Amino acid sequence: MARYGMAFDLRRCIGCNACVIGCKQENSLPDGVFFTRTLSEEYGVFPNVNRVYIPTLCNHCEDAPCEKVCPSGATYTREDGIVMVDNDKCIGCNTCAVACPYDQRSVLSKELFEDGLFGEGELTPFEEQGYVRFTPGTVTKCDFCSERVDAGLEPACVVTCPTDARIFGDLDDPDSDVSTLIRERGGRPPLPEKNTRPKVFYVT
Amino acid sequence: MATHQPTIVGDSFAVGYRFQRYWNASMASAFFFGELGAGLFMVSMYYGVVPGMIAGLISTGILKAYFHLAHMGVPANSWRAMMRPDRAWISRGIYAIAIFVAFGVLHVLLEVGGIFGLEFGTVNYALAQTIKTFAVIGALGVLLYHGFLISHSSAISLWSTGLMPVVSIVYALFAGATLTTFLGWNTSVGEVPGTTFSLHSLTLILLVAVAVVLFSLIYAALNGSPGARVSINLLIKGAFARAFLPLVIGVGLALPLLLLLWAPATFLTSLAVAIAVLIGYYTFRVYIFKAGVYDPIMSFAPDP
Repeated sequence: MARYGMAFDLRRCIGCNACVIGCKQENSLPDGVFFTRTLSEEYGVFPNVNRVYIPTLCNHCEDAPCEKVCPSGATYTREDGIVMVDNDKCIGCNTCAVACPYDQRSVLSKELFEDGLFGEGELTPFEEQGYVRFTPGTVTKCDFCSERVDAGLEPACVVTCPTDARIFGDLDDPDSDVSTLIRERGGRPPLPEKNTRPKVFYVT
Repeated sequence: MATHQPTIVGDSFAVGYRFQRYWNASMASAFFFGELGAGLFMVSMYYGVVPGMIAGLISTGILKAYFHLAHMGVPANSWRAMMRPDRAWISRGIYAIAIFVAFGVLHVLLEVGGIFGLEFGTVNYALAQTIKTFAVIGALGVLLYHGFLISHSSAISLWSTGLMPVVSIVYALFAGATLTTFLGWNTSVGEVPGTTFSLHSLTLILLVAVAVVLFSLIYAALNGSPGARVSINLLIKGAFARAFLPLVIGVGLALPLLLLLWAPATFLTSLAVAIAVLIGYYTFRVYIFKAGVYDPIMSFAPDP
């Protein structure tokens, strides 16, 4: 069984946010809900200044704190390492959201589905077909586009990235692109001091 | 442009600290009423103040439950919250609340006039003691689980400290002692010689304990991780200081101290102390939630 993970090549990321749009479209995400974000940071002293782009998403941690604190068992980890949320079991207590050190959970408030993208209380056909997968009041997050992965495809953010800055694959396969990149250039997990053992790595 | 360290960035796509926005005033109210009820019940039970015990059970059993349900996204599924006592503090808390309320009600029924035709004195002594013990265990469980629930996760650095369960216990007992004094004014507290003095002393000791734990929490956060420093600076210097310092420290601690030491021991004084402590305690609960921030996921800015 594969153990899926992702690496971000920060030298390649240009901060275009195409991944963010691709994700929102693939998952029909309501207004203000993001499964991935591309953060930016500026640092240095003029004229030696720099800007770096840092993509973020659920890190599908090996030792996922969101799963540990979930009182209803709604958050679980699949055999291939993808951390999932079962809408039918989620009670919307948001404990997982405050337990995630990466702030990668989104609350699906009822208003999001009532107001619609244009805030006029009417859903577009795009929203109507997409929102059936969500349960208002529950918490949701990135699932590495598990339906696409099950069909042998890569997550939407990966195929959308124009610079191949996102590399997805099997971390247990030493010959996979993601393992090779992490091995050769040194993958750095986010906030390692939180001891969550993320399956997402940053390569600089 | 100068080198800068991460700051609070709100919801923008920038690297920095982000406020937790998932637990709001409803959750803070649930914590407040849960802890207050358990603390009030325990102190009232010790001093035999039945109105205090009843108020404690109402606070935890009804008000806490109401605010939890108000907070929950899918209240109809709330029963699922008890599914994981093996790993989730929320599930354990539900069992603690159930034990506390069930045995607490039985204890109060025995105190006020008997149950199933049996009065306190006639019920098997061991049975009465067992009921009382389970009520205390449940109340302790309620007090402890709040602290462990928020200190368990490392996501919010301010909360991730072993002091949180201690804060919950001492603050709840302190508020419970002040309310017991007020609610028991015309009952056993005033009638049994020495009880008033004992309760007054207990309140003063708990006030000092709360102050020590609160300042320990602030000191530990100031000298802790960057995220905890950001949070505590918000509370004592930043955006939340205008509410936190006057209400939690001024009204919640300093004013009760002055009243307890120098005001005449009257019914009105006990009422004023109780109200002041409750204001401070509730403000503390709300602002500890509001000031929680997530650390930046990664930063390339060099250390200053």
